[in-house]
Amino acid sequence: MSVYDIAVIGTGPGGISAAVTAAVRNKSVLLIGEKGLSSKMRKAKEILNYPGFPRTSGGELADRFQAHLDSMGIPVTEDRITAVYDMGGTFGLQGRSGEMYTARSVILAMGVVSAASIPGEDELLGSGVSYCATCDAPLYRGKTVAVIGYSPDEEAEGAFLSEVASKVYYLPMYKGDVSLDGDNIEVIHSRPVRIERGRLVTDDAEYEADGVFVLRESVAPAKLIYGLETDGAHVVTDRQMQTNLKGVFACGDITGRPYQYIKAAGEGNVCALSCVKYLDETQKM
Amino acid sequence: MLNTVANNDLGAARTAAKAFIDFNATWCGPCRMLAPIVDELADEYDGQVEFYSVDVDENPDLAAEFGVMSIPTLVVLKGGQEAAKQVGFIPKDALKALIDRA
Repeated sequence: MSVYDIAVIGTGPGGISAAVTAAVRNKSVLLIGEKGLSSKMRKAKEILNYPGFPRTSGGELADRFQAHLDSMGIPVTEDRITAVYDMGGTFGLQGRSGEMYTARSVILAMGVVSAASIPGEDELLGSGVSYCATCDAPLYRGKTVAVIGYSPDEEAEGAFLSEVASKVYYLPMYKGDVSLDGDNIEVIHSRPVRIERGRLVTDDAEYEADGVFVLRESVAPAKLIYGLETDGAHVVTDRQMQTNLKGVFACGDITGRPYQYIKAAGEGNVCALSCVKYLDETQKM
Repeated sequence: MLNTVANNDLGAARTAAKAFIDFNATWCGPCRMLAPIVDELADEYDGQVEFYSVDVDENPDLAAEFGVMSIPTLVVLKGGQEAAKQVGFIPKDALKALIDRA
């Protein structure tokens, strides 16, 4: 298993900027994100204040970012991180794919998570609520599970769970058709209201479920790493983009307002340089 | 020393002054991350706390008894009674605090 100097989670302007700067400083970088870099960014119609790019669109800027990464030979690893483990000196990053990555430092750049927790979700996380089908599915062999999917990508997780569980309720939190079929899969079009032990309550019914898988675009920072200091949906950092955890840095929307591309890119740069300093200092010890 | 539990038999853990049980599985990523930390702690607490590793696939009765719904689940027993429980990976210092507090 290779150990990277820096793992960058997120491929928006903050993550790209951090990865580029880290690569310039000859650090090995694992850049984890999505295909097309950032679906959120690609939806931005017009960006007026990114120096050098008058009246550009989010899509255009993302294409330029991709070209920049390509020119430096920085690959994007397509995965989603569901948990980061502080192993003392190194960090283990659990991917949704089931892959485990290892790095000596971590940069959090996955943007701000807007979805609020479902009542009961936080309390039951780890005892009936899971964020990772690949990680916890075997515990639900022969049992009934509910999957709350926030994007069509999660249908694959629902299908995977249906191979293990005896029954899968799938609740899409997005518009459009659900292409999931199987004798033991039931697609339910109602909103989850509350998660209880062994039960999922929606706005029009109740479902017996031993486990509830809540699959969002990204995991709230406070639940991603044990002990991380947060302020609401944001991660608390100092001016060097250092969080309260040694070796963990953050940049972009995740650190708070203003939510601006150029602010994220600037913070990504600071983040990478702080990270390089941290790595150099810890290597000396 | 870390004892590996087989046949759902916790043995001396139930009578020890203090015992630490790590519920895990071979397919569980965070369990693999935790394993070396538990190994270190087993050495550091040698003579004070008994350490046990329970593979939930091989010991389903124990997993059911302790209500394990997600792994890793870490349980501290004090005189056979559950004194602390932690679900999910926590770093070494937090794990030590969990054991010391129980």
